[in-house]
Amino acid sequence: MKRILALAVLAALVLPSVALAAGSDDSEFDPSEEWNLQTWGPELKIGPIDMSINKAVAYLMLGTIVSIVIGIAFMRIRPGRGPNRRQALGETIYEVAQVQVAEQGLPTKAIGRWFPYVATLMIFIWVVNILGFIPLPLSDERWHVAGISVPTLAIFAATSTLSVTLALALMTFVFTHVEGIRENGSWAYFKSWIPDVPKAMLPMIIPLEILGQFMRLISLSVRLYANMLAGHMLILTFIGLIFLVTPWVFPFSVLLATVFYLFEVVIVVSIQAYIFAALSAIYIGSAIEPEH
Amino acid sequence: MLSSFFFLAAAEDGADAGKAIALALGIGLGSLGAGIGIGNIFGSMIQAVARQPELRGELQGIQWIGFALTEACVFYGLIGGLLAFVLV
Repeated sequence: MKRILALAVLAALVLPSVALAAGSDDSEFDPSEEWNLQTWGPELKIGPIDMSINKAVAYLMLGTIVSIVIGIAFMRIRPGRGPNRRQALGETIYEVAQVQVAEQGLPTKAIGRWFPYVATLMIFIWVVNILGFIPLPLSDERWHVAGISVPTLAIFAATSTLSVTLALALMTFVFTHVEGIRENGSWAYFKSWIPDVPKAMLPMIIPLEILGQFMRLISLSVRLYANMLAGHMLILTFIGLIFLVTPWVFPFSVLLATVFYLFEVVIVVSIQAYIFAALSAIYIGSAIEPEH
Repeated sequence: MLSSFFFLAAAEDGADAGKAIALALGIGLGSLGAGIGIGNIFGSMIQAVARQPELRGELQGIQWIGFALTEACVFYGLIGGLLAFVLV
């Protein structure tokens, strides 16, 4: 009951803030405006690479800090006498990362080396995802109240931008092949990509298998990106119906937006973090020990 | 209210209508396939657990991976549709 109440309060906090964010702009409401990232502060450019800070970068930094704090608070600080709740929660996180993610994909000899990576991925993606559903005053739009302009409370996940998820997927991609080459030698590793088929089929199979390796990169990044994008877009669109159609759809749209919000927070956020880490473990594990 | 909404949609530019159809088809067909697939996964999971309840823990991990892989198909459709909507 307490949990339901907390969720309801959270939802009640979120929904008006989305509405405010949309309402503060005079132009027509467009949910995709949320993903036009504006630069904050000075432009930092190193050669062709744009290093300036925007909303997504701010969310990533916040996510990094929060995941470090989670790691230190739950794993590093020694519990007092006897097990307490904090320790139990820390052990639950550890057990999910160990049993459900690492042991599922990685061969036993590689768990020691790659467990930190997949566990970090899981916790970091989960934190960034869940931060995306908590209304925070990190927004491009400003709200003028009593002469001061404050950023509006808004929901935005750094993982709903393709660059972030592509960078995460690229790390897994690079680690997979580096580890595969190191364990098996480059010839044996690349040979293990190609399944046993008649010789005549080879010219057709080889390009497909090579393409398949790159498709992993795309599927891994697009899965997380599109999940978070679609979740935010759905909530924004249902709230935006109030401005687009008529204010009288208010109860209907708020109800649907709340339903999607709860669905995202309860199921999607955790599943996507788990899936990303588990698939990374499976890819790295299958490179270390190819099937043939 | 609803009829005026439809009227507005009909009055839009023809090219926009085409884009909207592309987007709707992308998402709609994607979710059609994924809906069947997800139903299959959970149905098989129920059957498997009903036959061998002791395997539930092991099966759950596989089930969620299968769920996410299938569900991703909707989002490939969505991204394709959005690309058609925004770029073309």
